[in-house]
Amino acid sequence: MLVLRDVYKTYQMGEAEVRALRGVSMELPPSQFAVIMGHSGSGKSTLMHLAGCLDIPTSGHVEYGDLNLTDLTSRERADFRSSEVGFVFQKYNLVGNLTALENVALPMLLRDSTTKHAQAKAREALDLVGLQDRMTHRPSKLSGGEQQRVAIARALINDPSMILADEPTGNLDTTTGDHILELLQQFTDNDKIVLVVTHNPEIADMADLLVYLRDGEIESQQVKEIAR
Amino acid sequence: MKLNLLRLALKNIQSRRTRSWLTILGVLVGVTAVVALLSIGTGVQEAVLQQFEDIGYDIILVAPANLAAGAARSSTGGYVPGSGAGRAGGGMPSAMPTTQPSAPSTTPGTFSPENLGATTPESETSERQAESVKDAMSSVASPGLDTQLLLTQVPQLIEAGTLGTQIQPVNTSTTSGFLRVSSPSLDFLDSFSSVLGGFKIESGSFFTNTTDNQVIVGARSAETLHLAVGDSISIANIPFTVIGILEPSSQSSEAEESEDGAALSSQSLSQSLGTSGSADLVLRGLTNTDDSLFVLNERATDILAGRARTSVTITRVEAGASISAAKDAINVAIGQQEASGTPISIQEIADEIQGTLSLIETVLASIAAVALIVGGVGLMNTMYTAVLERTREIGILKSVGARDGQVMTLFLVDSGLMGLIGGVLGLFLGSTLSLLGSRLLGPSLGVGSFTPIIDGWLISGVLVFSFVLGALSGVLPAWRASRLNPVEALAAE
Repeated sequence: MLVLRDVYKTYQMGEAEVRALRGVSMELPPSQFAVIMGHSGSGKSTLMHLAGCLDIPTSGHVEYGDLNLTDLTSRERADFRSSEVGFVFQKYNLVGNLTALENVALPMLLRDSTTKHAQAKAREALDLVGLQDRMTHRPSKLSGGEQQRVAIARALINDPSMILADEPTGNLDTTTGDHILELLQQFTDNDKIVLVVTHNPEIADMADLLVYLRDGEIESQQVKEIAR
Repeated sequence: MKLNLLRLALKNIQSRRTRSWLTILGVLVGVTAVVALLSIGTGVQEAVLQQFEDIGYDIILVAPANLAAGAARSSTGGYVPGSGAGRAGGGMPSAMPTTQPSAPSTTPGTFSPENLGATTPESETSERQAESVKDAMSSVASPGLDTQLLLTQVPQLIEAGTLGTQIQPVNTSTTSGFLRVSSPSLDFLDSFSSVLGGFKIESGSFFTNTTDNQVIVGARSAETLHLAVGDSISIANIPFTVIGILEPSSQSSEAEESEDGAALSSQSLSQSLGTSGSADLVLRGLTNTDDSLFVLNERATDILAGRARTSVTITRVEAGASISAAKDAINVAIGQQEASGTPISIQEIADEIQGTLSLIETVLASIAAVALIVGGVGLMNTMYTAVLERTREIGILKSVGARDGQVMTLFLVDSGLMGLIGGVLGLFLGSTLSLLGSRLLGPSLGVGSFTPIIDGWLISGVLVFSFVLGALSGVLPAWRASRLNPVEALAAE
């Protein structure tokens, strides 16, 4: 269970103070497909970064199971991201000079895995997202949809309990986007939390939990039954 | 994990190929300079020390005090290069022969102090050489030590011999001028012929007695003077017969191709090293046999005495005996014989030259090190640029679980690898250059050919140093990379 308690996040942009989140509290149990919506600048990406331990709140707490993520050291946060979180970004964020297979194997290689084992797992993951024929291609030789599937395979490789996706379909055409969403939704069957940040109202229809953010505050929260 | 990071770093270097190679080039130039200069420096030192070893560290020379001071005077002497007085021999000290060679300025093939043994008569070197020749001529005649007496006075000595040197007017049937006449004693030739390159006779014979006027001619002198065995030659207007001609010295054959010529080799060595007077003259006197005439000391003492003659006594100390004690005993013996002279051990001369060589080597290596540091700065610049360019990639690595330390290690390995590659290539290039350079430099340094020393210490030192230089240059950029906030890094374009 991912829990946010009265979370504030303030950025310093030069002289100006940007209050990205203002007292956000929410709970996200396993096997949930959660969607966070809101206008640009509403704080939804910040919320995702805090949930994924990429950043720490200015005040408040982020908890995951028994762990208080706010108290972790930089190294512990890295280890948490490695073992519990898989990120999927709008811009795919693949390493340009690595092949699809190497990109997917990267999180395992950073955790002392042997190259052979990491590549075997990476092949499985790429197989799962339907890219068995494109493993040796570099990102620049792959379409947007293929790149996003590589990113999803990478997010899955360490078998995390939480998939965090920031506008995963933002750069994709509708058909490809739908495929990606179906793929993401499948993972909730394995007790994983899938949290998607998006503008896309179609994704909202798929959500077990739908959260609207406005100016850093939760405007509304809807559970599955209401959303459907 | 470390291996994985190494693989990632290699990929990064490959993906920025041009910039990586330019950065590596910066390190390569520095390493090349360091390797070339150090290996040549060590090689020259070894070669010079080998020369002394060939002569023997158990040897003590007794150079006359006036000879030892000769080089010091030469820098302040009154000789004016190219002046009429200098060329015609006017104004020469009283020790000069009263009979001048016939019409030296008009006879074809004239040789004179100015071009003695020099193939570049107009060069500054020949002027300096002329100065020292003049100094030798102006020095007061020294009778030298009685070597037999010396052996009884100093029990540590097992062998002793005398080598006299003087500049004399020489006439042959075709030409006339001044030449150096060396006069080794028989015991000198018995015990110390190695000092004169073995004193190997190429044609004719060795001295047959001490009563006839016999002369053995150095290889180049024989060639210049068109002398053959049996020819007559006049030294200081005294008739001599050529009974033998020496083989060219090893230095001569090695230095034949050099512009300066072999005759200058030992001189230019000691001059370029800036060694002080005694070592300079002793070295020069001992190592050049090609441009001398040789008359037995026993004969020269009788008929050429008093003609600007200086003698070096050379002695060998018994194995195991203290060199410094022997030197002290020799000093006492010199006093007892009422002679003058200063004992110098080969070790002292070697130490003096080695000290100078080490200083030169250190200076050259320091200059090379500056080139290496510049290479390191270039590497640091590249790494800073890489951190800026790869900010987003750093964000990606962190988002998939890379720890700060791993990001830092990745960048350190990256810059260390570039340093190491530059080091390996620089080692090869530097070694090649020093091998080529040794062929060109050897003759002009007066050590013949020498082998640059590229040993395990130099190789491992260069490789470790270049990796450490690379890694150190990468420390600040890598630290900066590791401290990047992942969210901000991911937002970078």
